[in-house]
Amino acid sequence: MPSSFKTVRLPHILVALLLLLMQLPATTMARIKLITLPVRERVEIQLDNATATLVEEERIVPLVKGENQVDFSWANTQIDPETIVFRVIAPADAKNQLDVRVLSVSYPPNEAALVWSVGSSDSGSARVRISYLLGNLGKSFNYRAVASNDESTLNLSQYMRLQNFANEEFGNTGLYAGFGKEFLKPIGLNETKEMLVGRFPQVPVRKTYTCDPQEFGYIDQPQNKLRVPMHYVLKNDKADKLGAAPLPYGKVRIFIAGREKEQSTTFLGEDWGKFTPIDDEMKLYLGVAQDIVVKRIIEKNENHRVAGNLSNQEVVVKFEIENFKEQAVTLDVTEGLRFLRNEVRGDSGRDVEWELGKLTTLDAADADKSTFDRLVFHVKLPARDKQGKAEKVVRKLHLILKNEW
Amino acid sequence: MLRLRHTIFCVLLPMVGSLRTATARNVDLSTVPRRNTVQLTIYNSEDLTLVRETRIVTFRKGNNPLQFSWANTLIDPTSVELRFLTSAEKLEVLDTTFPHDKPQMLYWNIGSEIDGEATVEITYFTSGITWAADYLCVADKAEKQLGFEGFVRVTNNSGEEYENAQVRLVVGTINLVEKIAQLAKLPESEVLNLRKNQLLSYREQVVKEAATAPAPAADAPATQPPAEKKIIKEGLSEYFIYTIEGTETIPNGWSKRMRSLEGQTVPFKIQYRYRPQQYGEQLVRLYLLTNDKDSKLGTSPLPDGMVRVFRDNGRNGLSFLTAQPTKYIPIGDKIELNLGPDPEVVFELIKRRAFRDDIWEQVNGANIFRRVDDGAAKVEVNATVVGWNDHEVFDQRIRNYSANPIDVEIRRTFSGHITFRSALKPVLHDFQTVELHTTADAGGKAVLIYELVSHQGRNSRQNNVTLEDAELKP
Repeated sequence: MPSSFKTVRLPHILVALLLLLMQLPATTMARIKLITLPVRERVEIQLDNATATLVEEERIVPLVKGENQVDFSWANTQIDPETIVFRVIAPADAKNQLDVRVLSVSYPPNEAALVWSVGSSDSGSARVRISYLLGNLGKSFNYRAVASNDESTLNLSQYMRLQNFANEEFGNTGLYAGFGKEFLKPIGLNETKEMLVGRFPQVPVRKTYTCDPQEFGYIDQPQNKLRVPMHYVLKNDKADKLGAAPLPYGKVRIFIAGREKEQSTTFLGEDWGKFTPIDDEMKLYLGVAQDIVVKRIIEKNENHRVAGNLSNQEVVVKFEIENFKEQAVTLDVTEGLRFLRNEVRGDSGRDVEWELGKLTTLDAADADKSTFDRLVFHVKLPARDKQGKAEKVVRKLHLILKNEW
Repeated sequence: MLRLRHTIFCVLLPMVGSLRTATARNVDLSTVPRRNTVQLTIYNSEDLTLVRETRIVTFRKGNNPLQFSWANTLIDPTSVELRFLTSAEKLEVLDTTFPHDKPQMLYWNIGSEIDGEATVEITYFTSGITWAADYLCVADKAEKQLGFEGFVRVTNNSGEEYENAQVRLVVGTINLVEKIAQLAKLPESEVLNLRKNQLLSYREQVVKEAATAPAPAADAPATQPPAEKKIIKEGLSEYFIYTIEGTETIPNGWSKRMRSLEGQTVPFKIQYRYRPQQYGEQLVRLYLLTNDKDSKLGTSPLPDGMVRVFRDNGRNGLSFLTAQPTKYIPIGDKIELNLGPDPEVVFELIKRRAFRDDIWEQVNGANIFRRVDDGAAKVEVNATVVGWNDHEVFDQRIRNYSANPIDVEIRRTFSGHITFRSALKPVLHDFQTVELHTTADAGGKAVLIYELVSHQGRNSRQNNVTLEDAELKP
């Protein structure tokens, strides 16, 4: 590595300009070299690509009239040499308008380096920007949410975590995730830096209770009791004070505020928030709601022959639901029809053709959330009474599975 | 600095008797004619380079032995040829000998009718010199125009340094029946490991050469900087040849990248495509441009190579979009750059309904078929379903949260006997692939409803897709 006047550690990425001493005898050139080391004037790290990190650095390079050799080398860093782009931005001195061109690039063997041959119309300084993809410098996102005590809203904070294992340090560096604000931070070696990208106060949150034997199974199968997970659901739209950009995948830690302002927050749980496009919902699993008991019983299963081996299957699923909570809640009852058919007659591999029977006592399925073979119903459950007794709410789903064989 | 590794020797011996007699001696005296010119024609479709070099050799009347050797290089010995560019009518190759005990060497026995100089041309194939194209594209912030630059990168791992060589690059695919590297019978890895210390000395050489170059006059006015070498492109048979202006010296182990296509501002379009067989199960965003004169390109085919695409991010910097290999692009053909999925565009396929009809049963053991889904057939215990139609109704939903309207193309391939029902004015891309086009405004949505009817069992009589107009309710 070339010597430097500085006493500090040399960076792993180095731009060196070989100043060509015209008057020295050629025989001495092999050992005596004068090299200037243009420092970074500006660095930006672009994190807007999902899989690649682009580093852009600007340096002011002194050039002599004619051809110059600009040497770019790196050690112990994962620069992709194929992605290095050298661009002349503007002369450092606005009065001295140099015409600077890259003539060619040479790649020495067995070295992490390249040599630009740069032609300059005159002696002077040029501001150049060197861009390259750098490995081991990545980002991830995480969220911290504090729910209001009544669990109607969340104060959501979005953080970007930058992990620098690229074996290179950067001074004040512009960082941009592709959305939100731009940061200017120094990034040290092996440093992890977490930055607040956005703060979203009073985001409405919907608390849901869901039973779905296909997805969540039973909490007590011998007693036909379904598991009832509780979720917080955020909608990434402007009406819900979000919706500026998709929410990236990341861990969400959820706390709940105390009843009084002075009381500290309590950790409720955490979940991975999936990538959530605008207008979509982020559903965060917080735990099992043990105070809502749902018994699912297949009450009827009859085969009605149509002709030959073709038949219709009549199925009635009964849900007995009790809410032992102090508050009235809404339960989402989900029934996967393929799963149900598999329970009553095995899987034929064909799509389920179905119609609702007259014995159904559930309200109409939620058209937005239901698909052709997965039905979602909402059931309102009253709070337990003052004696602590819960009303047993009974709903039936009557289905005719048609044209089966 | 590297020394030439393959040389031609004039063996100055009294040519009494045969060549065998001359070469059998233990004491030799020889002169080494230097290379006068060298031209490299490098093929990128095969590991093949045609080397054409000239040297000036002094002959005397009678037999003149010439030794040609190429130790530690990747030259195909069967390809070495000698011809005379001057005094050709008075010089003749009498015989060529490949000595069994000295691989990578041959002797020519030259019959001369003159005493004096002649220019000889030696041609041969070598491997280890390759070239590759690559492209750098920078889109403007509005994504209307693309800065498009092309480069060629020549890499020399041949084991030999060809000084001041004229370099020609061949774009196209040639046929070889044997690999040159095999013919050279020297593993390339050995060549790569040759004389590393010498290779590393090139840096000093670069400095030295520049230092000994004439210094610019101190009082010279600001003028144009040294010009980049031009690359001249011309068609030849099925190929295109790029000739690099002037000469180049690329030391062994080094590679050098030069601009082959000046930076152009090329207009382009953006299209979103869903083609699962080509791009996977995702809607991808593409830049579409054309290698033609309207697009300020079209001066030559674009050789296959890596394309790197950036975009001006509007904050005085670039965003990296993609790097992808591209195939050879003839003049007039399209260049398609796949930027991958766009997080601002949501693409969902929702199956809304499924049902069956036109169900037919066959009475067991008899050649009797009855339709049973229309309620007309009686219950027949000994009958089996043998034909039916599966109906599936889909919503293809597209949500565009980007700042611009988008143009979307969807191709879906179906196997079996399919009727595709919709009011979407689809076209058939091929017998089993349906192509749909739609647009979605900035911040807008598009919902495409279609129904697939899959004819199954005895109802299946074709293996293709039929399009049918149908108004389907949302």
